[in-house]
Amino acid sequence: MTATTRRSRVIYTNPSRAARPKPEASGRERFWWYFMRFSGLALVFLALGHMFIMHVLVVLTGQQIDFAFVQSRWGTPFWRIYDLLLLVLALAHGVNGARIVIGDYVTHRTARGLLLSLLLAISAIWLVAGIAIIALFDPST
Amino acid sequence: MINLFGYRVSWTQLAWFGHRASGLGVLLFLFLHIVETSTVLLGPEVYDFTQTFYANLPAKIGEVLLMAALVYHSLNGLRVIVMDFWPASTIYYRPLTYGVIAATVVSMVPLGAIILTAYLPWG
Repeated sequence: MTATTRRSRVIYTNPSRAARPKPEASGRERFWWYFMRFSGLALVFLALGHMFIMHVLVVLTGQQIDFAFVQSRWGTPFWRIYDLLLLVLALAHGVNGARIVIGDYVTHRTARGLLLSLLLAISAIWLVAGIAIIALFDPST
Repeated sequence: MINLFGYRVSWTQLAWFGHRASGLGVLLFLFLHIVETSTVLLGPEVYDFTQTFYANLPAKIGEVLLMAALVYHSLNGLRVIVMDFWPASTIYYRPLTYGVIAATVVSMVPLGAIILTAYLPWG
């Protein structure tokens, strides 16, 4: 195997070089590789849209974010589903990213296991809490 | 190439590091945001009070940083997607990376101004 072919192969399997190479074997890790890219594409619109509405349009139209604002917003199913989708995708995308970062830098086996379990446990609690907030809020209160 | 604490670091290496740093930063804020939004279940008084935590200059600077992190992570993420699914675009690796950094800086000028204007000491 010459240096040239080996080099071109590396570039092909990890063209972006900004993230991990696509796992060669199908399975869980390849699923997450695809998940990061497809959820990322959706989040470009969901998360940037959310930030643009809440921190740019709200300012430009002279409104402010308070309880009444949330009432009118979550009074419509569209924004509730939008926020639910944003919450679930952003949390899954972010936590999987953090899992990969921990895996890259924490080499001590016990420390890595503890950190990953902690991350998973906290994320599960926060995910349930987040879904509960969107589901339980009563706009008529 | 730029000199960073005695290390020669390329802009493309920084772009990679920036993707991780901005991702972790946004995730940290997401956890905080869920906690703060949970007060909406406790009624208008409690929720409106927690929202006042954001109505000052340091918080607004944090908001600009959050926006910058999200804009950068989005644009750089799109670059990752393009290069992963169309490997032929790899030859534009450098211009695409510089484009992402430049677009983030340029778009943050008006966005930052809109967020900060009302809170600046002379505003």
